Amino acid sequence: MKTNIRFTHQELVEKSKLGDRNSQFQLYEQYVDAMYNVSMRMLCSKEDAEDTVQDSFVEAFKNLGNFRYESTFGSWLKRIVINKSINHLKLKRIPLVPIMDHEYHLTDEPIENVADVDIEKVKRGIKKLPPGYQQIIHLYLIEGYDHEEIGEVLGISKSTSKSQYHRAKKKLLEIIKEM
Amino acid sequence: MDYFEKHIRDNKALFDEHRADRAKMWAKIELELSNTEPKVVPLWKSPLFKVAASVVLLLLLSFLIGITVYGSFQQGGQSNVVSQELMDIDMHYSNLVQHQVQLVKDHPDLSQEDKKEFLSFMDELDEEYEVLKLEMQKNLGNERVLEAIIGNYKKRIELIENLLRQINDSKMINDDYGYTL
Repeated sequence: MKTNIRFTHQELVEKSKLGDRNSQFQLYEQYVDAMYNVSMRMLCSKEDAEDTVQDSFVEAFKNLGNFRYESTFGSWLKRIVINKSINHLKLKRIPLVPIMDHEYHLTDEPIENVADVDIEKVKRGIKKLPPGYQQIIHLYLIEGYDHEEIGEVLGISKSTSKSQYHRAKKKLLEIIKEM
Repeated sequence: MDYFEKHIRDNKALFDEHRADRAKMWAKIELELSNTEPKVVPLWKSPLFKVAASVVLLLLLSFLIGITVYGSFQQGGQSNVVSQELMDIDMHYSNLVQHQVQLVKDHPDLSQEDKKEFLSFMDELDEEYEVLKLEMQKNLGNERVLEAIIGNYKKRIELIENLLRQINDSKMINDDYGYTL
């Protein structure tokens, strides 16, 4: 169906597949800020995020022939950016997931419901989290990935993703509360 | 999803707080893309080519099967028509020939010797007819063979008619003669 969201920017994508530089530039203009922010959240470094996003666009344009509209172009590109960012973290030996100190806890204490919190406080709170917790919070809460996708991206099981996210969120709320 | 999660997701645009240095990054991307040799994918490796080749092969096979089936149907149909046509002609002329041969055989004014000579001539034409008939089975569409068969019958009928006319003429002369006497 042509109106399907997956076919957003189809014309630009198809022209870019053929190597049309103008169409590639238009796609870049559409997505560069969003991708840069994704990478910045994960890498917390302007230079690293720029390099990662540049590499991601180059890879995307070179492999656009493999893009079959199974998702939106944006989601496809974001996955490339996230994978590249994670590879970058691995190279720097930054832990992708928190140390599994509570791996075998079968139940998690319920988290009290909170009213509207200031987004600025949440941003600052996330930055205070350990790196592993930051990644899972970003991927689930902001990038909108489900636990299955997070499992694939981080190389962990779905249940680990769930439990680690639960703890990360609990920790985040504690930090926010103390602010 | 709890209230906190919903609140974050509803406001996720606020988390996009950075702006990329677009021009600088694009310059690097463009340079990288320009430096890359154009990727040459052999035609036969292209999935599109594979699909196209399969379609062409399928069409070719369908065409060949279609031609074979249609051809045999046409040939069958044609041979049926020709066979029917031949049978009708055969029936018509053989009845005519049989009737006239019988007339010759039964004719009282012809000697046994004349009858024998005439019938042996008819047998020769019969043999010729059998050869033509075999030729016709081999090559049903050949109009010249069909024409030769009809010609064979016509010749036989003509011969019989001539013979009968001659007999009748001589009989009339004899009658006239008898009458004048």
